[in-house]
Amino acid sequence: MEWMVTAKEPGKTFLMQGNEAIVRGALEAGIRFAAAYPGSPSSEILTMLGHVAEEMDLHAEWSTNENCAFQACMGASMGKIRSLCVVKQNGLLTMGDALHTAALSGCWGGVVLLVADDPNAHSSTNEFDSRHQARAAGIPLLEPATFQEAKDMIVYAFELSEKLQQVVMVRSVTRICHGRGNVTLGELPSQPSQPKPIGEWDKLIAINWFHDLLWAKLDQAQAAFEDSSFNWYTGPEQPELLIITSGTGWLYSVEAVDTLKLDDRVGILKLGTTWPLPERLLLKYLEKSPRVLVVEEVDPFLEHNVASIIGHNPGLNIQLYGRHKKSALPQSFELNPDVVINALASVMNVTYQAPQTGEVPAEAVVTIPNRDLTFCAGCPHRASFFLLKQTLRIHEGNGVVMGDIGCYTMGGNRAGHFLLQSIGCMGAGINMGEGLGQLSRFGFGQPVVALAGDSTFFHSCLPGLVNARYHDSNMLFVILDNSATAMTGFQPHPGIPVNCMGKPANAVSIEKVVEGIGCPVAVADPYDIEATTQLVYDLIKKPGMKVLILRQPCATLAVRSKGRRKVWVDPELCRGDECGCGRFCSKTWGCPGNIWNYQTGKAQIDEVVCIGCGVCASLCPAGAIKVEGGQA
Amino acid sequence: MSMQLSKDPLNVIICGVGGQGNILASELLASALVEKGYFTTVGETYGASQRGGSVMSHVRISARKQYSALIPRGEAHIIIGFEPIETLRVAREYGNSNTKVVFDPRPNYPLAVLIGEAVYPEIEAIATELRYLCGSVQILEATRLAQEAGNAQAANILLMGALTAMPEIPLQAEDYSQVLSQRFKGDVYALNQEVFDLGYRQLAV
Amino acid sequence: MPGGMQLKTEVLATSACALCGACLDWCPYLKNIEDHLVLRFDCPVEHGRCYSVCPRTLTDWQAVNGRYMAGVPFDPDIGSFQAVYRVRRLQPINDQQDGGTVSTLLQTALAGKMVDGVLVTGSGDPLTPQPYLAHHEEEIRKAAGSRFLASPSLRKIIEAREKGIEKLAVVGRPCQVQALRKMDYNKPSDSPALDVLSIGLFCMWSLAWPFKDYLARTYPGLTFLRMAIPQHGVEVTTDEGIKQLSLETVQAYIRPGCRFCLDMTSELADISVGAFEPEAGWNTVIVRTERGRELLDKASAGDVLQIEEYPADELERLRRASHNKKVRGLKNIKQAVDEQKITPFVDLSSSPYQEIIAESSAKEGY
Repeated sequence: MEWMVTAKEPGKTFLMQGNEAIVRGALEAGIRFAAAYPGSPSSEILTMLGHVAEEMDLHAEWSTNENCAFQACMGASMGKIRSLCVVKQNGLLTMGDALHTAALSGCWGGVVLLVADDPNAHSSTNEFDSRHQARAAGIPLLEPATFQEAKDMIVYAFELSEKLQQVVMVRSVTRICHGRGNVTLGELPSQPSQPKPIGEWDKLIAINWFHDLLWAKLDQAQAAFEDSSFNWYTGPEQPELLIITSGTGWLYSVEAVDTLKLDDRVGILKLGTTWPLPERLLLKYLEKSPRVLVVEEVDPFLEHNVASIIGHNPGLNIQLYGRHKKSALPQSFELNPDVVINALASVMNVTYQAPQTGEVPAEAVVTIPNRDLTFCAGCPHRASFFLLKQTLRIHEGNGVVMGDIGCYTMGGNRAGHFLLQSIGCMGAGINMGEGLGQLSRFGFGQPVVALAGDSTFFHSCLPGLVNARYHDSNMLFVILDNSATAMTGFQPHPGIPVNCMGKPANAVSIEKVVEGIGCPVAVADPYDIEATTQLVYDLIKKPGMKVLILRQPCATLAVRSKGRRKVWVDPELCRGDECGCGRFCSKTWGCPGNIWNYQTGKAQIDEVVCIGCGVCASLCPAGAIKVEGGQA
Repeated sequence: MSMQLSKDPLNVIICGVGGQGNILASELLASALVEKGYFTTVGETYGASQRGGSVMSHVRISARKQYSALIPRGEAHIIIGFEPIETLRVAREYGNSNTKVVFDPRPNYPLAVLIGEAVYPEIEAIATELRYLCGSVQILEATRLAQEAGNAQAANILLMGALTAMPEIPLQAEDYSQVLSQRFKGDVYALNQEVFDLGYRQLAV
Repeated sequence: MPGGMQLKTEVLATSACALCGACLDWCPYLKNIEDHLVLRFDCPVEHGRCYSVCPRTLTDWQAVNGRYMAGVPFDPDIGSFQAVYRVRRLQPINDQQDGGTVSTLLQTALAGKMVDGVLVTGSGDPLTPQPYLAHHEEEIRKAAGSRFLASPSLRKIIEAREKGIEKLAVVGRPCQVQALRKMDYNKPSDSPALDVLSIGLFCMWSLAWPFKDYLARTYPGLTFLRMAIPQHGVEVTTDEGIKQLSLETVQAYIRPGCRFCLDMTSELADISVGAFEPEAGWNTVIVRTERGRELLDKASAGDVLQIEEYPADELERLRRASHNKKVRGLKNIKQAVDEQKITPFVDLSSSPYQEIIAESSAKEGY
């Protein structure tokens, strides 16, 4: 809640989302600049900073991509104000070169890079561990274990950043970002900080000469971390087993020790500063424990670094357990209390029995259908995928469709008739399409179609479009423009005339950009399936690089402002199971608003879910689906 | 007044389908608890799962300390289900023979059912299995009641009303009203308050 | 009777489809653009109308013939018929093909209230057939002239039924006439009959739509006005004069499905109309059923048509041409079936197909 993050009530405790706590931390640290690109689980951070930007007199922006965002923060840092950059694990790699050079140049105003990893890839294509990048780039790393730390570490990170003149990474995960818990507020600054003038000889330059300086900054960080209040030990003087843990691993470890009643045998060293590691502190506890279990998300990053310390201290004789080679914990996927309880039980050789449900006789066990992800009711992507699939089938040329990242990525599954044949990272669609489209000179005759959403278009397709145009690839590039960065929560992007702070912005026209690059571009409405099918068919038959924009606003967003039209089925006209239909609306069109009434044996509209787009009505072979006010 | 809970941590799961207002419901509940002085942790499933996928919120309440965002297997004390098969899915994983279950019987059909590849089970069969699995099971037609009150989308608030009435939850109806009024104004607040009260009355003794 | 999935595997996904259009427009799974006709999404219905009306699914053609040509003398080469004439309009109309007989018959059928609607293929771009339902004589005038690109015009049958037309005249290719008869023959008992008066065209083949692209590439910028196939090749009339194309050039664009056709003269129609080879400006008309006779009589009553006896030697030539088409067609069917490329729509082991196949394999160079 906005009023929570801006509350002038130091000492007051609220239930805050981890992302809100991070926002509060940034405000307490007095940032005046924030830049990000939407990415789960981090998106709420910049959204909220945008909402409070006016009240708190700061600049917040959804940058076109993470590279822009991070380097914008570095630019703001030259003015000696504090800036926050927020990315998810994939976005961190988008700005990878920028991160390494920034580590070399250092920064002036504090720069904190908040990276939100997504263990288990709940809302990602893949899970991977961003902490490696902190080590690779040579910057300090902090990991909050609680919602309170999510706030407090941001404040500390800015102090550290300015002390070292170095970028500091704070790595959070989904269970912190999207979880909620008790957070006690600190103080907001009384005065906003002012930018300072830059002298002719003040330079922020990445140059390899500074590599030793980079190491020196890390040594300074390490020294500070030896006494950090974010690191602490709980447990017996001489534990049989020492758990070393960071991030969400801490609370799971505490609960595991409690549940197995091992608090007199197992000690927990919780680390909030995980790169560089506070070696003296670690050695103090390593010397007391013959066995060590490292509990962390996602990779055995901490474990390998601890192993390195052990390896450099030949006197230690320690059996190390963790995610490495699945010695105690799984190699992949998210931690949870059960995983850690089971790992601890196995390492300590104790048994654990979770509370059981009652017995269910075999005949009473129900078969539960799976819940596949699908497009929302009214989603224009459903229409786009439907018409693309049917057009390619009618064309009979075995067209290949390259996908990209957004809500429409789900078009690779049943919701999109399994249309997508490739999914990579952002921008992969047009670039892979360009490559495949070049093979026509070797006799490859299948039409190539590449998709991208409107936000993806700005994020990473511009170089790809230039490339495809310049090299005249044979392909059709379809931009699915639903006027939002929808998947991550309907954030604005450079095509939207209102920015995240609610202010007017110079919206960039997609078609003008495409025309400026020199590609022929058509714009069509995906809801008009008949006409757009014909258009796509005609485009596929042409050679060269073609661009088609399928434009219709995201339904979930649009219904908030436009309201719903009533749609219903006339059961007299509905053909249902019979020849001439076969439940076409619910089975093939597949909108959650189209349901089957098993009692009447007829199609029906779920009025709670239906948003009134009317596309199903245009597809019904019997004209049985009616739309209030007639079909528009 | 003693802060002591009947169980500490008290573990509540609120589950349903993306878009049913699961997150708002758990946030309101947990905020009211923090106001009252409890440590409360909420773990959510967001993002892609919102697109019609299964969602659940784990709410962990303690008078002593902050717990992690996820409830271990079999440790849910109360399950509030916005949707029948989601309730069953959650109960099998996180319920035990003492768990209390309250659920809305209105189905939300998965894609597999809509296209005729799977059959949606009978509500009575779901309730029967739940009764085998858990301690007590109650059906509460939250969507229908909320629809009659004027807004089918407020079924989540109605169920929070019902939950608040349960003796395990250390909240009075007024505690919840306070968080409602902090977040909603005017007609929206009035409707939500009405729906909350309606839900509270269903389970109040 | 199987459904859409079998139609796809046996006909649509093979080269056997004749593009008659009978399967379209009732169901949402079948769709066409130009001459691509596909099952766009999988159909779950087990027994489908589409399969039962398709002329390229296995059919007992003798039984169908027996139902609709009862009492009419049967000819193995050109089908059951009462009489053959050469016919032309006394007053030609613009754009008429050959003798203008088809247009006249349609006008007669409407004016004489034998039907309340007519399904023709015409209008718009002369080379792009667009089917439409006509209710007035002026609309028929617009449809005058042959189209050589295949059009799935039978899709309009559904629309005719929905518009409440009870008696419909249809001008169709032989495959379309076959489909019309199957629609009635396989009609579910509880479904209302649509009374169809069929005027069948003579047809050797129809062309695939890429032929249009060929013309556009070869004669860029020209407008195409009409097309004709006189004996010496193919003539395309443009706004810059007549262009001559060799038969070989055009034959490269023949639809693969046409190569399996066994019917040159629309043997199941009420009345069949084609060109009269020896002399331009005349039609060959074959009267088959009583309704066909009634239509021709009505048309000739008004002094609009000139009807003459058909020369015996020309009838022989017609028979031979029609027979040779069967021979070629069956040879192609057998070869494709042997190569597992199509599913046969006639029982190859039965008469007369067995005999004709034997005849073709005995002849060299066929």
